[in-house]
Amino acid sequence: MLSFVKSLVCIGRVEMQLPDLVPEETSIATFRITKKRKKLSISEFERAADKRLPQNQAQSTLDSTALARSLRLSLGSLIPPDTVEKRGLLRRPKNRKAIDMEAFEGGVEQNMLKRKAQNYLVDSETASGIPTAMLASDAEIMLSNTELFVQPQFDEQSHNKLSALEPQLSDSKTSAQTSKISDAAQEDEGGTRRYSADLILDHEHVDGMTHVSPKPPANQQEDKQDHSPQSNPMEQLSVSEEVVVGTAEHHASAGYSEHLEEKLTKKAKSPITTVEDARVKTEMAPSEEEGIAEGSVEHQGSPEAEREIAKGVGAGSLGRHSHAFSSSEKSGMEPLKEAIEQADELEDQVITVELDGLEEEPTVNETEDPESEELSMKTPTFVRAAAYKPLLSTPRPVKPASPKSPMQPLRAKPIPKSSGATRRKTSKPEVASSLIKKIFSHYVKMPVARDAYKIVEKCCERYFKQLSSDLEAYTSHAGRKTVEMADLEVLMRRQGLVTDKMPLHVLIERYLPLEYRKLLIPVAVSGNKVFPCK
Amino acid sequence: MKRAAPRSTLRRIIKTHKPQLRLATNADLLVHLNFLLFLHRLAEEARTNAFENKSKIIKSEHTVAAAKVILKKSRG
Repeated sequence: MLSFVKSLVCIGRVEMQLPDLVPEETSIATFRITKKRKKLSISEFERAADKRLPQNQAQSTLDSTALARSLRLSLGSLIPPDTVEKRGLLRRPKNRKAIDMEAFEGGVEQNMLKRKAQNYLVDSETASGIPTAMLASDAEIMLSNTELFVQPQFDEQSHNKLSALEPQLSDSKTSAQTSKISDAAQEDEGGTRRYSADLILDHEHVDGMTHVSPKPPANQQEDKQDHSPQSNPMEQLSVSEEVVVGTAEHHASAGYSEHLEEKLTKKAKSPITTVEDARVKTEMAPSEEEGIAEGSVEHQGSPEAEREIAKGVGAGSLGRHSHAFSSSEKSGMEPLKEAIEQADELEDQVITVELDGLEEEPTVNETEDPESEELSMKTPTFVRAAAYKPLLSTPRPVKPASPKSPMQPLRAKPIPKSSGATRRKTSKPEVASSLIKKIFSHYVKMPVARDAYKIVEKCCERYFKQLSSDLEAYTSHAGRKTVEMADLEVLMRRQGLVTDKMPLHVLIERYLPLEYRKLLIPVAVSGNKVFPCK
Repeated sequence: MKRAAPRSTLRRIIKTHKPQLRLATNADLLVHLNFLLFLHRLAEEARTNAFENKSKIIKSEHTVAAAKVILKKSRG
């Protein structure tokens, strides 16, 4: 027995030992391996590095000691490991610098232009009795600062800028545009550089557009050319506008067009603006037609359109559109908006055209400009402001404040006057949405999007409908007219909420607050009573 | 932190749908219980959908899909 036990013990020990040895070995092995690895890592790494980079061979031969190696490695980590790493790890953006520099220069030029434009605008407002005095209202002053996108005024600077920017953009397209721009840029002054830069970007777009249908719009324009003799650029503009409108149907947002108008109006600030205005108006006329036709489509107001406008190209066209529109039609805000929308879409094209048309002298109705500006000042300007660089942001938000007031009285009328305390509960009783939100968010334990709450509310309404019909079915089946607890229990059972494993009382206790539980579950109280009484 | 059950509102809702139907005393509490359980199931389903989508927010698509399933389940 003892021997047996001993043998067992010995076996056990052996068995024990075996597993012990294994883990021991592994532990020890790992230990050693790690140590070895440590030692090997540096040397191995160095060897590998030496193999791959012949550069280091000299170094490696020089520093053969482990200490030196380790030191080098430690120090090397501080120094960018270009030498040790493979060529693939070499810094890539060496090429970027060229582009960055150009962009930087462009930005600097823009700033300069901006300042010049500001100065110019101030001077222009004060000195010359520009018919765009209307525009030169507060809005103008406000807008004058934010010329980046609004003013498609092409000065020599802008021309220069365009030429400077050309290399950046596609040459074929921009060159054609710059030629146009150069013509128009003579009169404009600063602030157009940015615009030109944007224009250039847009021109790429527009070029394709403008060249597409130069002729058909010309016809339309001729009809609408009320104010001044329409030059080809004007026609082109309108044409381009049409083209843009046709193509950019999805853009169509009233704000978009409005924004364009703003831009155009801003353009008008400069002495050339008058010319532009006339052009815009003429342009607007054809654009109006287009806009009206496509207004329905365009009014979808996509932010994309607004962004495009934000590029500043549309501003010029927009202003023109607004002017043209205002001059030709003063029917209402909507057609203007539509025109604006179109103008926005046609920004790219329009801008190129506008540049050409800047030379002309329009008979602009300054009075209309502020209106158009106001119209354009709606949300799209806000969006644009957001999309634009921060430079433009300040003047724009100020403008929308003013146009709102004239708009509001118009809005007040169509809104039906509902009696002060709308009696909604009687017409359609609903569970408080706040309650639903609370309960749902508590159960879901996750942040919920606002739209999801609306869906939940709709779901609840449907649920109550289902519930009431089910209850009615159950009660009628039981031959009663009043819904009882039993009916509700049957309902829950059929829903799968109450099972044999989950009786109703448990659910009551879990989910309902204590006061309700007392009411629902009969509880025996002292005095041989049961409450609630059955 | 739950609020009180809107007993009168529940009664009014059922009354609007089924004017001839009556409710026993405290029956609307069970209706409220049913409502809570329904929302609970909806929330769970929506949460599952959001997880499957690897999104950390419950979006409307998740809710819509969940609603379809749960409404069908709660028909009885």
